Amino acid sequence: MRGLVRWSSKWWPGTIPLAVLWALAAWTSTSPLETELAGRSTAALKDILLDKSQIAVSGRDVALAADAFSEQGRRSAVAAIEAVPGVRLVNDETRLVPEAKPFVWSAERDVVRVTLTGSSPLPASKGKLLEAARADLGGVEVVDQTNLSRGAPPHFDDAALLLLNQVAKLKDGKITISDSKVSLSGMARDLGGREAIAASLKNLPEGFSVASNEIKAPPYIFQANKDPVTQTLTLTGYVPDNNVRAAIVAAAGRKFFSEKVVNNLKESLGAPSGFAGAVVPALGALSRLSTGTLVVSDREVKLSGDALYEAASSQLRANLFKGFPQGWQVKADISVKPAAAPVDATVCQQLFSEVLAKGTIRFESGRSNIDPDSVGLLDHLIEIALRCPTTNIEVAGHTDADGDSATNQALSEKRAQAVVDYLVKAGLPATRFTAIGYGSTQPVAANGTDEGKAKNRRIEFVVKEQP
Amino acid sequence: MIFLATFDWGWLLAALLLGFGMGWIAVVHRGHGVPKNLARWLAALVAALLAAALARVIPGRPGYWLDLGLLMLALYLIGCGIGSCLRDWLLPRPASAS
Repeated sequence: MRGLVRWSSKWWPGTIPLAVLWALAAWTSTSPLETELAGRSTAALKDILLDKSQIAVSGRDVALAADAFSEQGRRSAVAAIEAVPGVRLVNDETRLVPEAKPFVWSAERDVVRVTLTGSSPLPASKGKLLEAARADLGGVEVVDQTNLSRGAPPHFDDAALLLLNQVAKLKDGKITISDSKVSLSGMARDLGGREAIAASLKNLPEGFSVASNEIKAPPYIFQANKDPVTQTLTLTGYVPDNNVRAAIVAAAGRKFFSEKVVNNLKESLGAPSGFAGAVVPALGALSRLSTGTLVVSDREVKLSGDALYEAASSQLRANLFKGFPQGWQVKADISVKPAAAPVDATVCQQLFSEVLAKGTIRFESGRSNIDPDSVGLLDHLIEIALRCPTTNIEVAGHTDADGDSATNQALSEKRAQAVVDYLVKAGLPATRFTAIGYGSTQPVAANGTDEGKAKNRRIEFVVKEQP
Repeated sequence: MIFLATFDWGWLLAALLLGFGMGWIAVVHRGHGVPKNLARWLAALVAALLAAALARVIPGRPGYWLDLGLLMLALYLIGCGIGSCLRDWLLPRPASAS
């Protein structure tokens, strides 16, 4: 041992080449060492959720800068680097991802693209939402401008996925989640889109609620076109369901006595409230026109065309606003058809018979009030009466054989008189008309069947030359 | 330590061999040794550097260089010790035989 101490005092000359060796080692090994440690550190962070992570190695010291999504994530990231063999010190430059308050995420659609803005909770959510947006919107450009933030409400991903699916149903608009409140605005792509979106919103995850839904739908359009040349009434556009379609077609059949009803209606959601209640009276007004078009667009009714005679035109204008549900607007552009050439009594009678062969003046059951469905028919009868001003007309009422004959007699008289009153109100001179009731004494069909009875309940016009 | 040993093994081995060679020579070397006072000071310096390395007070690359230097010095000294003892044991000097 003493020898060793003695010898050791003579070991110093070797320290000079040792120093040279050391300098060379430091010179050549530092850079590879740092690269090696950076690689190992990056690998250690692979399974830890971080944003914007940066690793800088100086010697054996690692500086870690990153945004973590939780305090625990932050700690485990630092611990993972500390555990890397060879790392001497870790300079913790990590921070928590900023918390967004309120946590706002929105998807805005315009003509060419969908832009996602606001906050996303985690990189995985951000990627998932972007992917879902691309899938839902097939082909539309999706721009993701969201930043990562903490503070997302629970089930945020599910809510955002559901809402992205709704963005696909929009033509343009914006859907926003602010904490757990959802607001929507814009225009639906298709008719019924607004309703489809409203229905989907019921599936929002628990805790989410709709703060405002201002999605508008394209106008809900229904059209009816009356063409006297082809004698057709063409119905186009939309109806809410099959029942309404059937009701409208049936009403058209009653009101348009000589026209064939062409039903090109399609079913769609999104009808304004009171749709059927507005369309049926509007069809009644159209039935009084010689030629005309009815356009119902959302809650706006536009009626245009030619009335058969002057008084009908003013009656239409005066009565048009009656019978429509509240909140509906009615616009009328009604002119009067030029008066047709006068005809003699024989032609006049022929015209009356032709019209009455196609349609029957209807009354309320057992009473003498004229059914509103018959106003179109009455207008045609008035137009004919105006063409033969030199004739007198006997308006004859007939009933079926049900009930006792005195009642039937009285009813037939009253009904004939009601028709005369209607004609006089339309501006025809009262002196030209005589109301006569025949009760059930002149049947034109057997009273044994309902069909026969219906034929027997009738009003006839008998034209006579003025003396 | 193990990481450094595996990463810089070549340099460390070179230091060990250098020490072995120096130790081998030192036994028969007739030159002056390090005076005791200076040796104490040097020992104190090495102890201070060792303390600094263990306390990890020197950051970044200089920190690594210090670790590397101390490790190489340690292996040099071990090499010296082995070299000297081996030489002394294998080849008794004529002076000690007389």
